[in-house]
Amino acid sequence: MTLPAIEMEGVGKRYWKIHERSLLRSLIPFGPPNRTELWALRDADLRVAPGETIGIIGRNGAGKSTMLRLLAGVTRPSTGRVVIRGRIAPLLSVGVGFHQEMTGRENIYVNGMMLGFTRARIKALFDDIVDFADLGEFIDTPVKFYSSGMYMRLGFSVAIHSEPDVLLVDEVLAVGDIGFRLRSFDRMRAMQQSGAALVFVSHWLQAVQVLCPRTVCMHQGRIAYDGPTEHAIARHHELLARDGPRVVGGHGSVRVLHRELVATMRGPLGIVQQDDVVAYRLRLRFDEAVDSPQLLFRVLAEDSTLVYQMQTPLGERWRSFAAGDETDVVVRFRPRLGGGGTFRVAVQVTNTDSSITLADDESGPAFFVEPRPGVVGVCDLDARIAVDDEDRTDQRSLRFGEVRAAAEGA
Amino acid sequence: MTNPDTIVPKHVPRVVPSDPVPVLDLRSGPDSFGTWARSIGRSRVLLLTLAHQDFRARYKRASFGVLWSIALPLFQSAVMVFIFSRVGHFGKGLGFSYAGFVLAGMVPWLYLSTSIGTSTTSIVDASNLTDKVFFPRALLPLVAPVSNLVTLLISTVILLVALPVVGQGLSLRFLLVIPAMVLLFVFTASIGLALSALYVYFRDVKFMVAAVLLVWMYVTPVVYPQSALQHAGKWLDFNPLTGIVGLFQRAAVGGAEPSARALIVTVVVTVVLAVAAIAAHRRHDRLFVDLL
Repeated sequence: MTLPAIEMEGVGKRYWKIHERSLLRSLIPFGPPNRTELWALRDADLRVAPGETIGIIGRNGAGKSTMLRLLAGVTRPSTGRVVIRGRIAPLLSVGVGFHQEMTGRENIYVNGMMLGFTRARIKALFDDIVDFADLGEFIDTPVKFYSSGMYMRLGFSVAIHSEPDVLLVDEVLAVGDIGFRLRSFDRMRAMQQSGAALVFVSHWLQAVQVLCPRTVCMHQGRIAYDGPTEHAIARHHELLARDGPRVVGGHGSVRVLHRELVATMRGPLGIVQQDDVVAYRLRLRFDEAVDSPQLLFRVLAEDSTLVYQMQTPLGERWRSFAAGDETDVVVRFRPRLGGGGTFRVAVQVTNTDSSITLADDESGPAFFVEPRPGVVGVCDLDARIAVDDEDRTDQRSLRFGEVRAAAEGA
Repeated sequence: MTNPDTIVPKHVPRVVPSDPVPVLDLRSGPDSFGTWARSIGRSRVLLLTLAHQDFRARYKRASFGVLWSIALPLFQSAVMVFIFSRVGHFGKGLGFSYAGFVLAGMVPWLYLSTSIGTSTTSIVDASNLTDKVFFPRALLPLVAPVSNLVTLLISTVILLVALPVVGQGLSLRFLLVIPAMVLLFVFTASIGLALSALYVYFRDVKFMVAAVLLVWMYVTPVVYPQSALQHAGKWLDFNPLTGIVGLFQRAAVGGAEPSARALIVTVVVTVVLAVAAIAAHRRHDRLFVDLL
């Protein structure tokens, strides 16, 4: 029987939120308490077998980074126990651990040693590390002249060459160019096969979905769900929708009373297919009389970039609403968002010529779109690559489709 | 073992060439002293690498490079000698070279003062690193005292060369710098360890250190001989730095100082500090990060 690579038993992590940390204050033995406790993680139980890959998802502040810190061993739990068998390699965020003035070459040594390499081992692996990072002559340039992509490639290259038994991957992978991303995924897959446990913490649900058969969904410091990734993502969206901030700005004379996102959902719960019809239903209430209001519907990517906008005919007079009126709005759309990912809907209600915003609901419900095989990016342009009339278009899921297929078969 | 042929062949293929699998077992309490000490021991190469990097990075972009590490103590000593001999009328009738005496005192003082400032803030300054990857945090405050050893060695050699120039004969007595340097290193490292841990919790410490360093040089017999203060001079024995600086000066120019009492104070304070600092680091090693 192999022991799990990662074991967490009833793990809790308490932080003290300090109101005022000063030497003077701490010398006063009595008086009002100077700190309040804050449980970033509670009752976490987790077992990860060698060779297994798990994703950790959740909103900001759900406890993901605390979990990662505990797994990296940089902090210790307040309750419970964390056991990690094997060498741990945290994939360092952009630039972490690099000395700005030193060259890439010099940084490889220091960084490698922090991950537990011996000097001789680094020497032996040096060329491989440099090759993988693909830095060319920049290897002898101080890293402060590196682009964020180069930084990341170097850090990642050192981390994966340390042949860890447990690899912790943070958001970092979102930085690299696509070519490097694919190589990294390939490399991670190879590590999975050689028996390394991989923990992938990300907001990038699409990557979690392709890489991790199993995912933990964190919510308010607890493990809300632990199981197949599709269900975890569904649970994540359910939680997002439940306690997502209802920031409704604007003039305030129009309120959003109710909103829901309904999809035909032929796929698993919470994940919509590119050709599904999604309906966004809203109930609006007019607190003041408004003549010919206009509605703007938007789809935003996770980083709030505008992906799509459609509106009612601005400037056109059509109908007036009296104070106290309530009305139903339905927006139907097809999420043809090629590479898939997490998106959210947003609506704005304005006056006739859109000069005054009456209601601004930026943070509508989120939804997750299944990527079209082979497509990376925000939309699907249905490109075909032909070389001497031979169709060479990649129809597979980002080259690591096999991982998914294996995961689904299991 | 009668028949040598039955002994295992020379080349035994090693099935597992790697180290035993390390197991990290984290609980709410601190690591045991043994575990902590072993983790420090395992990281000694990392410490040296960090120190090497620190040293190189410091002078990397300066055209004169390491020369600065020689020029600065010489320059500061020259200023001190000028001020105190011309303005303060020190250094007459001492029976040894006043310039040599000041230079010998400046060598350990500069080592201590440059190391402690960096050491104190080292853990906090590395917060982006400590957040991601674990290594004993005690390494961080040790980096400056270790990397500054190079400068200390260079400036000691300079001292050796400079003494005949300022009219001070050399003798075997100079070998006293060896125990003096060991003592100085342990003392500085202990202060650095203790202060760096304290600074994580109390950010006032940085400013206190700056204030103390400002005064400390003048309550240590660096630019004046202890005997020049007559009766008040003996109180300086309770300054733990008196013993160390005194040893350097004695090695360079001779004299009766430091007293046995000063040396005992130095050793006792160093040991107490080291024990306290090690205890603090063992207890808080994986907790510092929570406050960064």
